[in-house]
Amino acid sequence: KKNMLDFFILGLFISPGSAVNTPVRRPVTRRSKSYGRSCVEPPSLFWQTPGHLTTLGHRIPTSRRAAKSHNITEKVDPEQVALLLDGEWKLSYVTPLFLFRHTQLKLYSKRLAAFIIAEKQQGVAVEVGLEAGFRVSFSAVLGMAETEEDAETISSRPVFGADGSKPVWQGWLTCVNGDPEYLRSLPPDFTSLPLFCSRGAESLSALVKSWFQRTFDCSFGALGLSSSTLHWLAALWTGCHPAAGIRYLKLGWTMPTQPPLDIEYSVDPQDAWELWNSVHKEDGADERISVDEVQSFINGLETHFFRHFKIYLSSGTLTKVSTALGSAHHHGKIKVITINSDYISTVLTLLTECALLKTPV
Amino acid sequence: MDEQARSILQRIIKKTPSKRLETIIRSWNCLSEDQLHSLNYSQPKWLFLENLVSRCEENRVSLKDVTKLEMIYHIHNPNQGTWHACQLFQAEDDALSVHFTQFRESFIAHLEDVVQHVSVGMKKLEDGAIWVRIAWGDNFRKPNHLKPTYLVHYLQSSYVFIHNVTPKHRPFLYQALVLATRHVSIKECHLSSRSLTAMRDLLMKQYQQVFPTNQERTLKERNAPPSHPNIEREHAESSEGRHQMACEAFGCGVLPKLETAVYKLETRYRGNSNNTLNDGDELFRGVVKFSSKNILESLRHCVSTGMAEGPVTPLLSSITQKGRNYFVITDKVSGATASQTPAPKA
Repeated sequence: KKNMLDFFILGLFISPGSAVNTPVRRPVTRRSKSYGRSCVEPPSLFWQTPGHLTTLGHRIPTSRRAAKSHNITEKVDPEQVALLLDGEWKLSYVTPLFLFRHTQLKLYSKRLAAFIIAEKQQGVAVEVGLEAGFRVSFSAVLGMAETEEDAETISSRPVFGADGSKPVWQGWLTCVNGDPEYLRSLPPDFTSLPLFCSRGAESLSALVKSWFQRTFDCSFGALGLSSSTLHWLAALWTGCHPAAGIRYLKLGWTMPTQPPLDIEYSVDPQDAWELWNSVHKEDGADERISVDEVQSFINGLETHFFRHFKIYLSSGTLTKVSTALGSAHHHGKIKVITINSDYISTVLTLLTECALLKTPV
Repeated sequence: MDEQARSILQRIIKKTPSKRLETIIRSWNCLSEDQLHSLNYSQPKWLFLENLVSRCEENRVSLKDVTKLEMIYHIHNPNQGTWHACQLFQAEDDALSVHFTQFRESFIAHLEDVVQHVSVGMKKLEDGAIWVRIAWGDNFRKPNHLKPTYLVHYLQSSYVFIHNVTPKHRPFLYQALVLATRHVSIKECHLSSRSLTAMRDLLMKQYQQVFPTNQERTLKERNAPPSHPNIEREHAESSEGRHQMACEAFGCGVLPKLETAVYKLETRYRGNSNNTLNDGDELFRGVVKFSSKNILESLRHCVSTGMAEGPVTPLLSSITQKGRNYFVITDKVSGATASQTPAPKA
C-alpha cells in the first residue's frame, strides 16, 4: 500500500475562456483580523460591528428566475457535479477570502493536510485511533459560475484511512449568481465564495474551517434556512414538476406543543403544480417568480390544511421541504438529487443569496 | 439445540439490555437455581450466549422452550414492533362465557384445520390478556419459528392486537379468532402503533375522559358579547374553555402514548375564495401525518393553547372517539358545501 502521508491528490480542471479572474497581487495593508472585507471601506461602515447585515439587507429580491433545465453537465465535468450533489450537505456562510488564488490549489492541499496532521498530533479535535495517513485534494469546479463576477467553486476533500478510496470529509465553497453590485464592491484581493457546504466528521469540519480562517482571514457561521427560503424552494421545485417530475411535495412543521408535534403534509405532485400554476403568472420570455406568488402558493396549501384540521400552522415552524429533486431543512441541511442536477444552479443561486445576506459586514 | 432455537435465543439476548437479562431468564423457569447463579449477566453478549447455550444443552431445552422465552421477551416488551388492532363484531350468545381453555383448544383446532404445519404457543397473564404466538408452516414445510405472529386478546373484549402477520396467513388467523371467540366477523380498526399498551388503553378507554357536561354554558359564553370589564378574567375564562374543549376531545391527565396519526386527504381544494382551483371538481390529494412522542397530549396542548381553532374538528377528535389513527377523508357526496367526514379506508 502507498504511504498516504506523502501522497496528495490535486484535481484542477480549467476550461478555456473560464471566468476566473485571479486578481493581480497588490500590496494591501492588512489590519485586525475580524473585520474581513470592511478594511478599505469608508470609516462609517468600517466601525460597524460584525453581525450587522450587509447592504444587501434591504434588497432581498422580490422575484427570481424560474428554475430552468440548464444542462449543467455540458459546462461542468459530470463527475464533479455528482461529487457536489450526492448526499446531504451542512451549510455555512463564509466571509470573503483574502488573498485566495485559484492557481495555488495544490499548495493549499499540502498546507491543509499538514495543518490537519499537526492538529491531530496535538491530540485535539480528532478522535484517537484514526490513522495519520490521509490526503487532501482541492479542486476548482469550473463552469459553475453563472456571471462574470462569480468566483469558481472550490471543493476540498481530505481523504483519511488506508484504502483512500472513500473520502472521510468533503466540502466545497461556491458563489452562483452572487449579487453583482456586492461582488464588484469587494476590494481587490478578496474573493467571495460565500456558501460553504460540508459533510463528514464535525471535528474535521472545525479543523478545515479553522485553517481557512487562519489562511484567508475569513470567518464561518451556521447558515440556517428561514421559512421564506424554504417557501421559495417549495415553489421553485413545484414549478419544475412538468419537466422533471417531483413525485411529491412534502412540507414539515414542528408545533411548539408539549410534547412537540410534527406535522408532515405530503401533497400530490400534480395537484401541487396545479395550485402553483393557478397563482403563478407566466409572462413569456423572461420567466420570473414573484415573492407574492410564492406567498399565495404557500398560503393556499396552509389554508387547505386549516380547513381540515383547524390548526394554525403559522404558530409552528416550517422545518423541512422536500421533493424528489431534493430536500432542505431549516437547520441548514440540503440535499439535491444527482439525477436532477439540471436544477442545481437555481438552488445554489438562492443559497448563495442566503449566505451573502448572513455575512456580517 | 438446533440452529433455529439457537438463533432465536441469540436474537433475544441481543435485544435485551444486560441488566434485564436475569429477570427474563428467571421467569422462563428452564434453568435450575444453580445454573442461574453460575451465569454472569455482565459478560459480553456473545460470551453470555455461549454459556447460556451450554446450560440449555445440559437441560435438553427444546425449541418449544426457546419459543416460550421469546414470548416472555415480548410480554416484557409490549411496545416494540408494529401492532395492528382488529375488532370483533356480532357476538354469539355464548361469547361472554368463553374461557381460556375453551378459547385455546378451539383456536388451535381451527387453525390446524386449515394450516397443516402450525405451532401455537399460548399464555394467559394476570391482567387477563391472552398472548398467542403462532409460527407458520405449510403443507411441505415445518413452522418457521423465526417469523412468528403474535396476537393479544382480552377475553370478553371485542379487540384483538396483532403483530407481524402476512397477508397470506391473515384469513386463517381471522377465521380461527372469530370461531374461537364466538363472533361472526372481524375487521381492521385502522389503528396501529408501536405501543401495544397505548392502543389497548385508547380502545378500552383506560384513560381519564372528560364528558361534555357544560356544553351549553361554554357555547353561550363563547357567543356572548364581552360583558365583563375585567379582561384578565375573561382571558382566564376563555383559556379555561379551550382547556375544557381540549380535554373533552382528547381526555385528561396522562393519555395513551400513540405516536402517529395519518390522514389521507381526498377532498376538493378549499383554499382562498378567489382561487381558480375552487371551481374544479378535481380532488386536491395529499397525506397529512402527525407525529409526536404522544400525539394525544400534543393535540390537547395545541387546542388548549389556542394554536388550533375551536371547536375541535371531528377529524382530530375521531382518534379517541373512534379509536383509530388512519383515516381516509373524502367529501360528503351530497351538497357542495359538505364538510369532511372521516370515512374508513376503501
